Amino acid sequence: MAVDKEFPVKIAGKGVDIDYGPRRIVEKLDLEIPERRFTALIGPNGSGKSTILRTFAALMKPSGGSILLDGRDVMELSTRDVARKVGVLLQGPVAPEGLTVADLVRLGRYPHRSIFGRWSPEDQDACDEALMLTGLADLSDRALDSLSGGQRQRAWIAMTLAQQGEAILLDEPTTYLDLEHQIELMNLITRLVAKHGKTVVAVLHDINQAARYAEHIVMLKDGRITAAGGPETVISSETIADVFKVKTIVIRDPVAGTPLCIPL
Amino acid sequence: MMRIVIALTLLLCLLVAASLAFGDVALTWRELYHVATGTDAPGPQDAMIVFDLRLPRTLLALLVGVALATAGTISLAIMRNPLAEPGVLGINSGAAAAAMAVIVLMRDPPVVLLQVAGFSGAAAMALAVYILAWRGGTSSLRIILIGIGLSSLATAGTTFLSAFGDIGDVQRAMIWLAGSVYDANMIKVRLLALWLVIPVTLAFLASRELDVIRFGDSSARSLGQPVDRVRGGMIVLVTVLSGAAVAVSGLIGFVGLVAPHIARRLVGTASHARIFPVAALVGACLVVAADILGRIVLPPVQLPAGIVTGLVGAPFFAYLLWGRRNGRG
Repeated sequence: MAVDKEFPVKIAGKGVDIDYGPRRIVEKLDLEIPERRFTALIGPNGSGKSTILRTFAALMKPSGGSILLDGRDVMELSTRDVARKVGVLLQGPVAPEGLTVADLVRLGRYPHRSIFGRWSPEDQDACDEALMLTGLADLSDRALDSLSGGQRQRAWIAMTLAQQGEAILLDEPTTYLDLEHQIELMNLITRLVAKHGKTVVAVLHDINQAARYAEHIVMLKDGRITAAGGPETVISSETIADVFKVKTIVIRDPVAGTPLCIPL
Repeated sequence: MMRIVIALTLLLCLLVAASLAFGDVALTWRELYHVATGTDAPGPQDAMIVFDLRLPRTLLALLVGVALATAGTISLAIMRNPLAEPGVLGINSGAAAAAMAVIVLMRDPPVVLLQVAGFSGAAAMALAVYILAWRGGTSSLRIILIGIGLSSLATAGTTFLSAFGDIGDVQRAMIWLAGSVYDANMIKVRLLALWLVIPVTLAFLASRELDVIRFGDSSARSLGQPVDRVRGGMIVLVTVLSGAAVAVSGLIGFVGLVAPHIARRLVGTASHARIFPVAALVGACLVVAADILGRIVLPPVQLPAGIVTGLVGAPFFAYLLWGRRNGRG
């Protein structure tokens, strides 16, 4: 089933409460994800950003409020329907030993196949496209264990691309990558948004990375949104002092022209 | 893949033939051929030994191997733990406790009742483990931990019964538990074959679900899999398969653990549609071979197949881990 272009994915949370055991992590959160944009969730450790991402991906059940996907509550949709619209890459995913890149990407077709459904030309096209977009076409027969961290991360993203949803949610995709691979990944995300109309939401640790690449930034503290909007409006020495408890000055990035914060 | 399946099938045929030929009254290949084809006037005694005694026993061993290997393959995928085998679900200890109870507490229980009790004990334990592990969803780690806990409880019960039971009864129970295909007949073979057709087919059809669920709950769910429902269904299959195997043959260890690992080694980890048939063939070969060994190592004593699989399986498993340590993983 192709995603209907008339009604692109809209993801929004309304009055969302999230509990982790007895502890309430997020209370009455209202969050709208702009479509076909790159949104970054930033905040200190424990600010609830990963939890919010998982809840928006329907991997956790909110205790109150609702997550809307195309205007429908995700809890009323089947996991399969959600997976056709939203691809998710969590932190530190582990693949069975010996699995190849192609094997992994093929799994992305799972939500599109019925129990007896054969591997179709559309499935193959989706996988080929995902491999091409991530620049892995030449490595498709390689075992995942034999790849570099950056290549492996791209392979996982290729899997979510093969799902052919319009949105991709990434939990700290650049953590544990060296600088070169971080930049490579950010460029891939920018390309997916600009050229292929994907909606991307990523939890990022690096404020400057978020400021440089994301179009929309949501800054979180203790499960609440303290600021949301473009990098220019969100990144300021006041918001950073408030949320991260670090004194900084914010200057203009001499290369990209985006805000750049430097700790004092 | 095809070459491996053909090679394993040939190996299995060879083992089956050997199983029909070896024993107290050893037949030569030529005699076996004459018995099998009914030509050249074989002695009626030879035909009786082959068709009435050794054939059911061999086929039963084969079927038990298929059941254990299939259940083991499923367990490995849904538990995502290289040491997970059906026993983790409490199936073995549940069957053992129930069988011990029936043998010790009843006077001369019929074999059928023993089998029903074994299967019921296995199913009850699996159900209890699943229910206790349920907390708004299941997690493989919780299932493993609760399985281990309940297993030791059941084992304590078994030990308690054996400490107070009549010594003769206890010994009979121990022999049953040791795992053997000794008292096989064609009725048993047919029943087990019929019983296994549906779960083995379902398991094979669910290959793709297993390919996905072993990535972990979150990853599988994000791909659109209803993880709890799939895992629940798979646990039912494991229970039906290994519960039946335990009921007819007692505890034959290591096959459920080793067969899927060997299959993965042979055809890779990518697809369960490839792993299943190979694992089933490996399991069948293992149990048939164990039964042959048990018959010929210390004649006239017949070692139960379960003891042989343990004796052979443990070193083999060490070898497997050794290979992994040296980077052939």
